Amino acid sequence: MTADGVLIEAAAVHVPAVAPGLLIASDTTPACGPDEAHGLLGRKGLLFKEPAVRLAMCAVHKALGLPPGRPTGPVPGAAGTAVVVSSNLGNVATVCDIVDQVRAGGLRGVSPMQAPNASSNIIASSIAIRYGFTGPNLMVCSGATGGLDAVRLGALLVRGGRTRRAVVVGAEPGDAVAAALRSAAGLPPGPPEGIAACVVLTAADRPGVRLRSVRRHSAPEPVPADAGPVVRLSGADAPSADLAGVLASGYGATGVLQTALAARWLADPADRPAGVGDATEAAVTCGSADDGFATGRLSRHRGRR
Amino acid sequence: MALAITGSAMRTALGGTAETFTALLAGKSGRQPLGYVNPDQVNVRYGYHVDAVEEERPYRASAWLAECVAEAARQAGLDGARERIVVIVGTGLRELRAVERWRADGLPVEPHALHFAGAVRDTLPGVTEVVTVSNACSASSHALALAADLIRLDEADAVVACGADAMTESMLAMIGRVGDESSDAVRPFDADRRGVLLGDGAAAVVLRSVPDSEAEVRLRGVGMSCDAYHETAPDPEGLRAAMADAYQRAGLRPADVGLVLAHGTGTALNDPTEARVLAGLFADVRRPPLVTAIKGAIGHTSGSAGLMSLLVAVEALRHGTVPPVTGLRMPIAEAAPLDLVIGRPARTGAHVAQVNAFGFGGVNAVCLVEVRHDR
Repeated sequence: MTADGVLIEAAAVHVPAVAPGLLIASDTTPACGPDEAHGLLGRKGLLFKEPAVRLAMCAVHKALGLPPGRPTGPVPGAAGTAVVVSSNLGNVATVCDIVDQVRAGGLRGVSPMQAPNASSNIIASSIAIRYGFTGPNLMVCSGATGGLDAVRLGALLVRGGRTRRAVVVGAEPGDAVAAALRSAAGLPPGPPEGIAACVVLTAADRPGVRLRSVRRHSAPEPVPADAGPVVRLSGADAPSADLAGVLASGYGATGVLQTALAARWLADPADRPAGVGDATEAAVTCGSADDGFATGRLSRHRGRR
Repeated sequence: MALAITGSAMRTALGGTAETFTALLAGKSGRQPLGYVNPDQVNVRYGYHVDAVEEERPYRASAWLAECVAEAARQAGLDGARERIVVIVGTGLRELRAVERWRADGLPVEPHALHFAGAVRDTLPGVTEVVTVSNACSASSHALALAADLIRLDEADAVVACGADAMTESMLAMIGRVGDESSDAVRPFDADRRGVLLGDGAAAVVLRSVPDSEAEVRLRGVGMSCDAYHETAPDPEGLRAAMADAYQRAGLRPADVGLVLAHGTGTALNDPTEARVLAGLFADVRRPPLVTAIKGAIGHTSGSAGLMSLLVAVEALRHGTVPPVTGLRMPIAEAAPLDLVIGRPARTGAHVAQVNAFGFGGVNAVCLVEVRHDR
């Protein structure tokens, strides 16, 4: 995909259990865990919401720059706003919990309030309902490339005239079922309290950081040697070992996290952690041998074009 | 140039596309006793299975999907080596059945097989871009909308839009838990409807840009919307928004449509809401379209449902014969203004059909498809 027309209007990360300055240097407030999400989101409407839904909402809340608490109505510009979310493990705990109860002969003990969580698109629809986003609503479950697949589809919705603004989110939970599933499959354990990130895409009608392209490959795409100063982010290529660990284990959230970090770092020197220099371009890669790879390219534009 | 469907295939409880259409015309149902899962434990006694005679194979949805993708690609003459091909798979339940069996039965699970990239790549070597969109009961229609945009923006030469779903124990449990009584059959728009039952299956269509004169089956437009209202209850405003978007994109009016494939789930909430919205949409049309629905015959196939309805719509327009709604005897009052096809097939000379798909979370997608014929 080429995406010259798409601006990254806002970006936020929400990774509890990781020092916030490791990701965004200017960020001094630790990200709350899913059980404390009410401090940011307000108490109402969180009952029966899974950890990944709560973390995803925290990332959206921050990206939109909203004050703490539940919005009392649709947020500004909500009508027609699209939502694209990537997550692979978001609802596996609910699915397993329901099956546990069924096999124990306890169907009546399953709460009907859990019903929506059995559907994998619960994160995307919950965000739409909370913030009033009535545009196209997509849930991507594409494995390790899912984060950049979601960014790509968000850009497609903007470029195709489906929406003026796409809220793109990556989220994975750190619950016991997700951890056991990762372990059983030989995947690295994720951040212990889960991970989420959000980028907001709009038409590129002003200066800022743009998403230039997202491409899928069967192997990681090399960055040309003569490309000049480029921020590079992949499981193996990161400014610190700790950050590399987060990127390597973010699974469906990784591509959105990388895009959010690159956007913030390109835009503002104060957001760059140690080891990240000035650059006007970024190349971010996520994926795995099983799922394939995706590479996103971003660049900073000061002028009108 | 026109967006054309140049290859397609599906697999339902009633067979492939031709078998399914023939069975629908005869009013047959693919309903069977529920397989694989203990009916008492989930309070669901029937399902519309593709195959429930043998021991449960893992990753069944992937297998049906691979068959459909192979057949559709063959018809369309796809060439993974020379063309930019993107595959978008819409699904409601992914392969979450494998997670359930890992949890409850100790079987191995492979996270990369919970989505459909591997199954597609094995079928279409050379294709790297496979995206699984898990958009509940309207997933495959959303996949079709994205496919149309990818072609229109020249980001792909051909896109395979798909649906694939095998029923899960957790979703069966929620259906058995939420309903007051255990449904014995899906009866769309029927006064005596008792709720939804699930079906298995897969579908695939190949979309390309072709000269207008070569487009036999033309995708006129797909509209999308989100209710942003409630997780499980449909909102008429959201349904209307998706329809308005589809007509605007297609450059068509409701009067141009001769057939509607309704979402029709046979549930307390969907059917009256959908019927009212359709009645409103066609209120000023002199000859309102025929309305039919297929879930009474093949169950609710979750994310695959939209594309299956689309392929039945194409068959109906091609043959000039619209199958009746299996399971419908006495329509609900809200459906009184609709020209529902009941009891026996109805003849039609129509060229354009509207295909509805609405999902959990208020995700709506409405397709308008046109078939050229000389009747």
